[in-house]
Amino acid sequence: MFVAFRLKMGQYWPGQSILHRMDPRAKAACALAIMVSVFFVHSVPQLAFAWAVALALVALSRIPVGKVLESVLPVVAMLVILAVCNLLLVRTGSTLVRLGPLTITSGGVWAAVLYSLRLVAAVMAAALLLLTTTPTQLTDAFDAGLAPLSRLGLPGHELAMVFSLMLRFIPTLADEASAILDAQTSRGGALAEGSVVRRVKAVVPVLVALLASSLRHANGLSRALDARCYEGGATRSHWHPLHMEVHDWLALAVTVVYVVVLILLG
Amino acid sequence: MPGAGYTQPASADAMVSVASLSHVTLRYGDGPREVVALNDVTLSIAKGERLCVLGANGSGKSTLASVICGLLAPDEGTVSLLGREVFGANGVDIDGYRLARHEIGLVFQNPDDQIVTSIVEEDVAFGPENLGLAPDEIGVRVDRELRRVAMQDYARSDPSRLSGGQQQRVAIAGALAMEPRVLVLDEPGALLDVRGRRGIMRVMDTLHRDGVTIVHITHFVEEALAADRVVVMNHGHVMLEGTPEQVFSHGDDLGSLGLEMPFTARLSTTLRDRGLDVPWTCDDDVLAEALADTLGPKQARVDADGQAHEPQAAEPAPRTAIQVDRVSYTYHDTDGRNALDDVSFPVAQGASVAIVGQTGSGKSTLMRLICALEAPDQGRIVVNGIDTATRRNRRQLHGKVGYVMQHPERQLFAETVLDDVSYGPHNMGLAPEEVRRRCDHALALVGLVGKEDASPFQLSGGQQRLCAIAGILAMQPDTLVLDEPTAGLDPRGRAQLERILDDIHDHGVTIVRVTHSMNVAARAQQVLVLSQSRLLMQGAPQDVFCAANKQMLHDAGLGLPDALNWALRLGLSEEPLSMDALVDAVMHATRPTISKAPSGAKGVDVRGV
Repeated sequence: MFVAFRLKMGQYWPGQSILHRMDPRAKAACALAIMVSVFFVHSVPQLAFAWAVALALVALSRIPVGKVLESVLPVVAMLVILAVCNLLLVRTGSTLVRLGPLTITSGGVWAAVLYSLRLVAAVMAAALLLLTTTPTQLTDAFDAGLAPLSRLGLPGHELAMVFSLMLRFIPTLADEASAILDAQTSRGGALAEGSVVRRVKAVVPVLVALLASSLRHANGLSRALDARCYEGGATRSHWHPLHMEVHDWLALAVTVVYVVVLILLG
Repeated sequence: MPGAGYTQPASADAMVSVASLSHVTLRYGDGPREVVALNDVTLSIAKGERLCVLGANGSGKSTLASVICGLLAPDEGTVSLLGREVFGANGVDIDGYRLARHEIGLVFQNPDDQIVTSIVEEDVAFGPENLGLAPDEIGVRVDRELRRVAMQDYARSDPSRLSGGQQQRVAIAGALAMEPRVLVLDEPGALLDVRGRRGIMRVMDTLHRDGVTIVHITHFVEEALAADRVVVMNHGHVMLEGTPEQVFSHGDDLGSLGLEMPFTARLSTTLRDRGLDVPWTCDDDVLAEALADTLGPKQARVDADGQAHEPQAAEPAPRTAIQVDRVSYTYHDTDGRNALDDVSFPVAQGASVAIVGQTGSGKSTLMRLICALEAPDQGRIVVNGIDTATRRNRRQLHGKVGYVMQHPERQLFAETVLDDVSYGPHNMGLAPEEVRRRCDHALALVGLVGKEDASPFQLSGGQQRLCAIAGILAMQPDTLVLDEPTAGLDPRGRAQLERILDDIHDHGVTIVRVTHSMNVAARAQQVLVLSQSRLLMQGAPQDVFCAANKQMLHDAGLGLPDALNWALRLGLSEEPLSMDALVDAVMHATRPTISKAPSGAKGVDVRGV
């Protein structure tokens, strides 16, 4: 469980493609627009268009297809369950199969296919964003997104820092969690057996130990931030300051066109 | 300019001293729980100096580091950093502290906590960014510092995929990129293996040559030898101060301060005690030269390469505790590379086994499989006659095989020591009286009697580890599997744990431990050498650690025990694995006329003494 978590977050894949070189703010905005736009997809032409664009983006990113699939796979299990529910519960359209209490209709099949495929397209966009953007850039984009907060005097920069630290520490804590899990298992803690109550009880020794571990990290981290003169975000400079280039504005414009076409296709 | 605040010329004394503490006292907590971490400490650090602060855990050396780098203000005394008094009669000078921190770098124990981003070069840039430097300048510094710590090839890597030693070098680069006038390293090697520590020491040598002022805090006495000056701390006091040679000449005192003497110093002391005419020294070159004169021309090595060490003839085999048979294992999330590849070996009941190998050689995976936390993909592991293939069987083994993970104190969770120790026996379904009996026994074994009702989180670091180990001993395992049990402990803690493990082993428990130290491995009965997921060698220590295997071990990222290295350097014909055996071998070689075999003839084989 923890290992799966570790793998999917912040998996940057180094490269020099146009997607890698985009301004993270523009890229995040485009990715968000694409992800939201899939909810307008209701017809075959729309689905085909959305998928064509998604696949084109994968090609543009020059990331191995396997790597993208790997990021999408964890969601697939959820989608399969969703698809099965759609298949069995949606009763519109003509009846295709009737097996005892189970009825599969053409509407159900369509819903199962549509909802899964459009969500996969959205997840692909998200995966591409994570794969082509370093956590630091992601944090900068996040920081930019919080700029209105900062202008109001709220700790926007600091929240962005917290976000960045979260990305940094998830793998570390995941490793520690699995080590603690091992240790408590070999002390006879039954983590994957017995009733729900027993399982919940068995999780306590892992969670408390993990919490203690997080506190230890927090202590160390605060010492490190002090020693490295982190004094809040406002006074910092940036090694790679963000600049919107022509291609970033172009990408935003293309995304707008894409969303409009997608809606018009419906 | 960040340094503008304190450029006014102070006294000549302050010009050379980059940090000075005068009668500094610092306490934690108050009332009955008050701890005096620093007690009337006076210390001055000169520009360009390499100072080593030695001390056992709890001696106050880490607090001292925090005071020197301006992260903690003391309760009493005077602190001047970079020529400006930041703490004194007028209290704390907050601005002064802030400015001082800009020019004092700190690297501490745990690399995990010091690296704040997910890309190496971005992390090195973090400090300069905080200083508000221009992008071009940041780029220059990042490049320069990564090169200085020999990490330039990893600039775009994810730090969490680097070894601890590499991470620590990145942390050093991150501190250096802020161009500090003083670099404080607070036990930078405590959590690293021998190789990682050596890498850090090399970086420190480079920095020292470049004129960086270094304050190195450690409990590894060998590391103090390279310093210009050594300060020994105990209970918040400065106990000894001087050159390494001066400090280590107080041999007996060091023991009572929770430290030990460096190997070379111990060797020369013992040889002198045995009547050999060598100077007392802690410099290995000096000792080697003196011994070369005493020993005369190098003896022909009889037992040289070619003559392979025959494994000892099979004696009537005792019962097998662990049988590992052609085991392979792959983690599903990696790129299909085997974590273990066709590994086979038996472990006899009651044996003590040392597993050595570099990071990533498959040691941890092997331990997880032996502890029945996972079944092998191929092959079989049988522990106490139980095959670990099925989940049911594995369940049976939990508790029978005790697993002490790396830094076992991280598994502590309960409100009291007793509750934590009883977790295992309780899970075994034992009666409450039996659980209590076992807990008492385990706590007695590790010397924590009287701490039953304390919170495990309030124990000292060393005690926390013992408490965690008691939690495993309370299940009365037949086999104890330990992953680097002494990592991070000071010499006193290490010695105590070794005694406990010896004691447990004497009671017939089979012990399998991963260790980075070849000296420790040489004390086991059986040594397994893992390299790149395969079992490279196995056998008795004297069969594994011998001159003929030196190159093969080196290629696997390992080495030989200190005693054997010394014997090879001196050209002795014997291959001692311990200090005592080495001393015997040297004495033996200096008196060829007394020896039964003339030198150059077939050497008397004392290996394994």
